[in-house]
Amino acid sequence: MTSIRKNKLFMAVLYVLVFFMLAEWLTPVIVLTETGHKALFLIFIAVGLLMAFLRVPWWFSGPIKILYILWFIVYVYTGNLLFTGEAISFLRNDFGMNFSALTTQNWAQTTDVFRTVLFFILLWMAIYLIHYWVSFRLSIFLFYLLTVVFIAVLDTFSPYSGETAIIRIMVIGLLLAGLLHLARWMEGHRILERTDKMAMFAVPLVLLVAVSTAIALYLPKAEPIWPDPVPFITSFSGQGGVGSGGNVGRIGYGVDDSRLGGSFIGDDTPVFRAEVPEGQYWKVESKDIYTTKGWELTENLGDSIVYGNNETVDTDFISAEEELETALLSMEQDFPFVLYPYGTKSFSMDESPNYQYNTADQRFETYQNGQEFEPETYEIFFNEPSYSLTALRETSEEDLAELSSEYDRFLQLPEELPQRVRDLAVEITNNSDTVYDKTRAIERYFSTSGFEYSQSDIPVPEADQDYVDQFLFETKRGYCDNFSTAMVVMLRSLDIPARWVKGFNEGELINSEGDTDIYQVTNNNAHSWVEAYMPGVGWMLFEPTIGFTGASSIDFDLELDAADPEQPDQLEQPIAEEPEDTGEEEAAVASGPSFWDRFSDFIAANRWKLIWAMVGGAILAAVLFKIRHRWMPKLLVSYYRMRGGGTERFEKAYLRLLKQLELYGISRKPGQTLKSYAAYIDSFFGTREMSELTEAYERTVYGGDGESVDWPELRESWENLINRTSG
Amino acid sequence: MNAKERLEQVIDNIEKVIIGKRNIAELSIVAMLSHGHVLLEDVPGVGKTMLVRALAKSVGADFKRIQFTPDLLPSDVVGVSIYNPKDMEFHFRPGPIMGNIILADEINRTSPKTQSSLLEAMEEASVTIDGVTMQIPKPFFVMATQNPIEYEGTYPLPEAQLDRFLLKIKMGYPTPKEEMEVLNRARSAAPIEELTSVISLNDLLELQEQVKTIKVDETIRSYIVDLSRQTRQDSYVYLGVSPRGSIALMKASQAYALLKGRDYVTPDDVQYLAKFVFGHRIMLRSEARYDGITAEEITERILAKTRVPVQRLVGQ
Repeated sequence: MTSIRKNKLFMAVLYVLVFFMLAEWLTPVIVLTETGHKALFLIFIAVGLLMAFLRVPWWFSGPIKILYILWFIVYVYTGNLLFTGEAISFLRNDFGMNFSALTTQNWAQTTDVFRTVLFFILLWMAIYLIHYWVSFRLSIFLFYLLTVVFIAVLDTFSPYSGETAIIRIMVIGLLLAGLLHLARWMEGHRILERTDKMAMFAVPLVLLVAVSTAIALYLPKAEPIWPDPVPFITSFSGQGGVGSGGNVGRIGYGVDDSRLGGSFIGDDTPVFRAEVPEGQYWKVESKDIYTTKGWELTENLGDSIVYGNNETVDTDFISAEEELETALLSMEQDFPFVLYPYGTKSFSMDESPNYQYNTADQRFETYQNGQEFEPETYEIFFNEPSYSLTALRETSEEDLAELSSEYDRFLQLPEELPQRVRDLAVEITNNSDTVYDKTRAIERYFSTSGFEYSQSDIPVPEADQDYVDQFLFETKRGYCDNFSTAMVVMLRSLDIPARWVKGFNEGELINSEGDTDIYQVTNNNAHSWVEAYMPGVGWMLFEPTIGFTGASSIDFDLELDAADPEQPDQLEQPIAEEPEDTGEEEAAVASGPSFWDRFSDFIAANRWKLIWAMVGGAILAAVLFKIRHRWMPKLLVSYYRMRGGGTERFEKAYLRLLKQLELYGISRKPGQTLKSYAAYIDSFFGTREMSELTEAYERTVYGGDGESVDWPELRESWENLINRTSG
Repeated sequence: MNAKERLEQVIDNIEKVIIGKRNIAELSIVAMLSHGHVLLEDVPGVGKTMLVRALAKSVGADFKRIQFTPDLLPSDVVGVSIYNPKDMEFHFRPGPIMGNIILADEINRTSPKTQSSLLEAMEEASVTIDGVTMQIPKPFFVMATQNPIEYEGTYPLPEAQLDRFLLKIKMGYPTPKEEMEVLNRARSAAPIEELTSVISLNDLLELQEQVKTIKVDETIRSYIVDLSRQTRQDSYVYLGVSPRGSIALMKASQAYALLKGRDYVTPDDVQYLAKFVFGHRIMLRSEARYDGITAEEITERILAKTRVPVQRLVGQ
């Protein structure tokens, strides 16, 4: 009998998997220490594993590895490809330096070369260790676990992102562990290693891993229940940002935006419920001063207009001249102001308060009898503004220069704003002619340039850092505040007036009654976006945040005849583009929340119930498992009654009985034969059946004479015995 | 009449003269059926000779006895060519080895040279004298007795020669009740004289052939190999069971299965016979002797810890 360890193909597969696993160790180390020449390190690992695989004797493999290390040092530190005289003297000098540094315990004097050698020796040891695990112990679990822990720790506490690495490790590790388990199993049962037999086990294993990985990738992933530990820990230890926004915050509408950044955890506390024909962005206010850390509002502008109930209000957004639509809002949190959709005409409330509109931040505060008033339900009559594409295509930079000074505050930028932010804005908009096109270019920039939407692990800018600069050039990940602020700042750097708007997005569609959709808006829907001023057109809403669908309605009023025949492309481009966008929006609205959304909402809503159900289920399962010898016989009896006869059935039934007896507490010693065990069982129960069954079983297994076994007849004895075990 | 019944007749026949030693009779027959030989180790006077004679009589075989003494020569065992002055030729006078059932008494009393002449004959079932090879008539079965090795004036058998005995059996003393019965029967005429054969030599040869057809499943074979390997790894053992020992255990198990009326070997057969097959094949280190551990105990220990195969091997 040959050992599984002798199967070259099998071992080769194992070593290849091991190589990839080691590479996963190496990568973060290389990345984090900013070490170069990853490929050369990988080659070292590959050579080491290859020699281990080929069982190269140590007196041969050792010198080769040493030679490789020396060559690496020569090549990396001197640039020589060969061991020239210069290289050798370099090695000699370096050795001398480190040796004297070590002997004098002058640790700081050791050179990089020394550290490199140490690193190589570490890799060498790792190779030897894993070779030992795989070849002799036939076990990888410990190493596998350590790898997962290692990557998880690095992912959490260092800039290294293990998102894809962890998937690779899981796949490699499962394959390795599975194959090694198979190898151990075959060794244990002394099954001849034959490639075809092994394939019988290995192929399902590979399929299983592949399918489960695919399913895992496809399934929706719950957001982590716990906040990212790093900002959490730093916030507790007081090392986070100074301002209130610096720590892990709870998402929701807040007043202070002077210090943006930091991670958020979700909060699904309801804010209000809206009954509208279509989902709307609900504006609260805007802010105009960018401080490099966040937003503030110009004080003492003073202008405010008071409107009465049902009175036509004048916002910066003129509603389209169509029939008005009605929105009914039922507040679940108390705010002394109203939320309003774009194109609002008037508000209606039973309590008929006054609505004080502040031109500075476009907020409608509600007062009743001179006191702040917190409305509960109110109706809003509105119609989404529509913009003429013709007009938008005529917005030019010259018009911007002629804007009155009241727009100056929307062009404010701090002096410290890094130049590269301005350069980037110019670069993005280089190919755009009109103001509208430039704005759109910036709006689209984030979704096409590798930015990532995330609420966790978002840093707070340090004292000398700019919030926008950090987002644009360093982290490239963030949530709505990052995207909208960055867009406003970039627009302003191009002299396009822009402001930062706060409010809520459309929320979650929970029901539809005829033409009216009912949306639930929670703290999770607190949002920020951008308004920019298009000269000649007016203020317009823009949505730079990835994954959000707010957009201004565009009226495609281009006169086709007027188009320049030489430039048909220019004509079709926006038309081809826009319907696509609106189409997306419609699709998103029409389909409502997808199955998975509802699924995950259900999970979120019933989290504790589900957890308790799972805990209860687990306890129940454990108890059932513990007392399985009590109920298993009943199942088994009916199962085997159903399945009919056959020698094979008899063999299985007999082995089941053995297991059942063991659970009952009468275990067979390893060196005990079935016959003597059967005799003991029979004396224990006062039966004769076990000996009878055992004789038939022995005839089948040792005698190879299955035909003579009359299972249907023996079944009665079997049932009798197995029922006894449930007592 | 099937094999089991015929063999039981033989055993019953032997039991008429040897009281309370049914298992010894069984083991002797097992050895005979599987072309093996038996080494009986015990003190004189417990019925060794009687057992062999009874066995020989029961199967109608030619019985010879050789008393091994320190001055016995090989030619006294295998025979000698004698010059006949009448026709001026050498005539071969066959020695006592040329029989069916041989009792080699006190085999460790004689010189190694003479021992080896017997053991060669046992292994080859033939003797060569003056360049002429002569077959020993079949069936050929040697039952050798040896005094416990601690006795004075013995030449212990070397390991290689011990290996040629299929089984080593200890007879042991009868129980008081059995001994009473022995006395009871000895009062009248010697019962051995009244024994008649119950099967013929041809029957015996036929049964020997039948033993070869007994099935030894792969699980059992691997079990036997496991057991043998364990003896080689035991820390008390300096020489474990050889592959010949594994073969011996398998063949003996086959014969035993036939005796029990089965056409296949079970682990019980193997376990029962392992003690008799392994006992003289395991050479112990001196530590074992200090600790008072015998080869039999080591065999027991290995039997207790080696997993008995209870289901078909998968994937073969």
